[in-house]
Amino acid sequence: MKKNKPMIILFLTPAVLFFLVVFLYPILRTILMSFFHITSITDGIGEWTFRGLSNYINLFQTSLFRQSCWNLFRIWLYGGIIVLSLSLLFGVILTSGIRFKKVFRAIIYLPNIVSAVALATMWLQYVYSPKFGLLKSFFTALHLDSLAKIQWLDNDHKFYALLFAYCFGMVGYHMLIWCSGIERISPEYYEAATIDGAGKFAQFRFITRPLLKGVFKTNVTMWTVTSMAFFVWSQLFSTVTADTQTIVPTSYLYIKMFGAGNTVTDRDAGVSAAIGVILALVVVLVFTACNKLIKDDDLEF
Amino acid sequence: MEKPKVKKVNWKKELRLAPGYIILLLWVLFTFVLLGWVFGASLSTTPEIFKGNALKFESGLHFENYAKAWSGSNVSEFFVNSLVYATISCVVLILVCAPAAYVLSRYTFKLNKLIQTGFASAMGVPAVMVILPLFSMIASMGILNNVTLNRITLVLLYIGINVPYTTIFLMTFFSNISRTYEEAAAIDGCPPMKTFWKIMFPMAQTGLVTVTIFNFINVWNEYFLSLIFASSDKLRSVAVGLYGMINSMKYTGDWAGMFAAVVIVFLPTFILYIFLSEKIIGGVTGGIKG
Repeated sequence: MKKNKPMIILFLTPAVLFFLVVFLYPILRTILMSFFHITSITDGIGEWTFRGLSNYINLFQTSLFRQSCWNLFRIWLYGGIIVLSLSLLFGVILTSGIRFKKVFRAIIYLPNIVSAVALATMWLQYVYSPKFGLLKSFFTALHLDSLAKIQWLDNDHKFYALLFAYCFGMVGYHMLIWCSGIERISPEYYEAATIDGAGKFAQFRFITRPLLKGVFKTNVTMWTVTSMAFFVWSQLFSTVTADTQTIVPTSYLYIKMFGAGNTVTDRDAGVSAAIGVILALVVVLVFTACNKLIKDDDLEF
Repeated sequence: MEKPKVKKVNWKKELRLAPGYIILLLWVLFTFVLLGWVFGASLSTTPEIFKGNALKFESGLHFENYAKAWSGSNVSEFFVNSLVYATISCVVLILVCAPAAYVLSRYTFKLNKLIQTGFASAMGVPAVMVILPLFSMIASMGILNNVTLNRITLVLLYIGINVPYTTIFLMTFFSNISRTYEEAAAIDGCPPMKTFWKIMFPMAQTGLVTVTIFNFINVWNEYFLSLIFASSDKLRSVAVGLYGMINSMKYTGDWAGMFAAVVIVFLPTFILYIFLSEKIIGGVTGGIKG
């Protein structure tokens, strides 16, 4: 098509401006900030003190930050295993030719459109409630009194309570990614396999699994991106400001940015910036590792 | 909805699929119990909820919980805020991103690849990477002390954050439309910009509607930006407002009212979903390459 310079410029400028102001400039400045000590976030560059890498080094020597990273790592790993395997299971079932496929799919995806605050409140105030909770009534009805007595939100159980509630809301999204991948595999493969006498499990192992490598990569990347932004759920499940059971790096960053009343530590926007950079680096790292480790271009379908 | 096809039930096949049905049914049942109970509790009373009789409605249905939550706990204010934020952002996003997506998908020029890569990477950047400089910029300009300016800034942020996703999503739609339409228009002497607004823009309608639904749900449920950039209660979105309400509820002890507020917050996206679930589900994977 013929080039039309004025039109290209006119049509692109607003979007690119938004991108420069909301993404590019802040990202570069955050990286710069992470090497400085900044008492107040509104301080100009002149008031910053250069610290080199010490923000990063200090962070990893702070036990609360290390705890927050450990929590996030567990959410990423355990949650990832739970969500990706459950969603794959649902994806395989949904594409196996069952009835009411659309209805099932719509209901399983439903939690994804509910506000995280509303969803977390349902879990906190209903499912885990020690007075009238779903788990309590369920186990009481089964006469499993020892299970019914468990305080799901005490310090020993809180982390896993948070993890399961979060996973419940995430399954639908990843299920849709799996489904779209499975549906792209030609049904002829399965027909041929059925004729050759391969059962459902053999078909999954020898057809579905190898052809889904690329989709697996997408799933891991998306899971990592959402995990690194983990914050609302942690805030809702925390009973005190720096709850060691549920704190994640972003909550630590929030405390460092705005202070937390009396507890924890002094404010330092430079340290907050360093946390942001670390989280972004994790996304880049996982993305690169996935691309290196999982090659999906050796299979054409 | 598609017309159900009349097919004879193949019992042998259905039996083989039985484990699948059972797993899905259990999950769906749990979802129904969770949402259904919360909805029921929102029409009950706090003492009944605590006795475990939330769904017996011994004293009738208490719609006044909704009235109380709506007017008494500021929910109406948060609700209107979110509605305004989401509506304006959605409209501006289309006006900003549709032309950009069109140009990026149709023309080859020097910066094209770079802009696309930039937008695609921005979708993976955690929000914490951008909020610090933005906050310092906005705070030092004194915007946080002015309600109107703060509101405008918040909407601009919602727009900016969603620009990369919206553009990338719409690009696939434009590149799927045949070029013959523009060629025909050019032969008839229609200038390219007019061709876009009169012909291409209406043709991408399905994509525009789908991405708008997503943007609406995203902005409606947004939490982090509103938490940091809304300086007062007057400006908060439903998600942050609800969070504040739940915290204060710990002191007032109005559980029924709290569940009513939860339902009010999730109702708009839920209603959208009931009518548009097929479109939403189709759109989720539309923006991602497998």
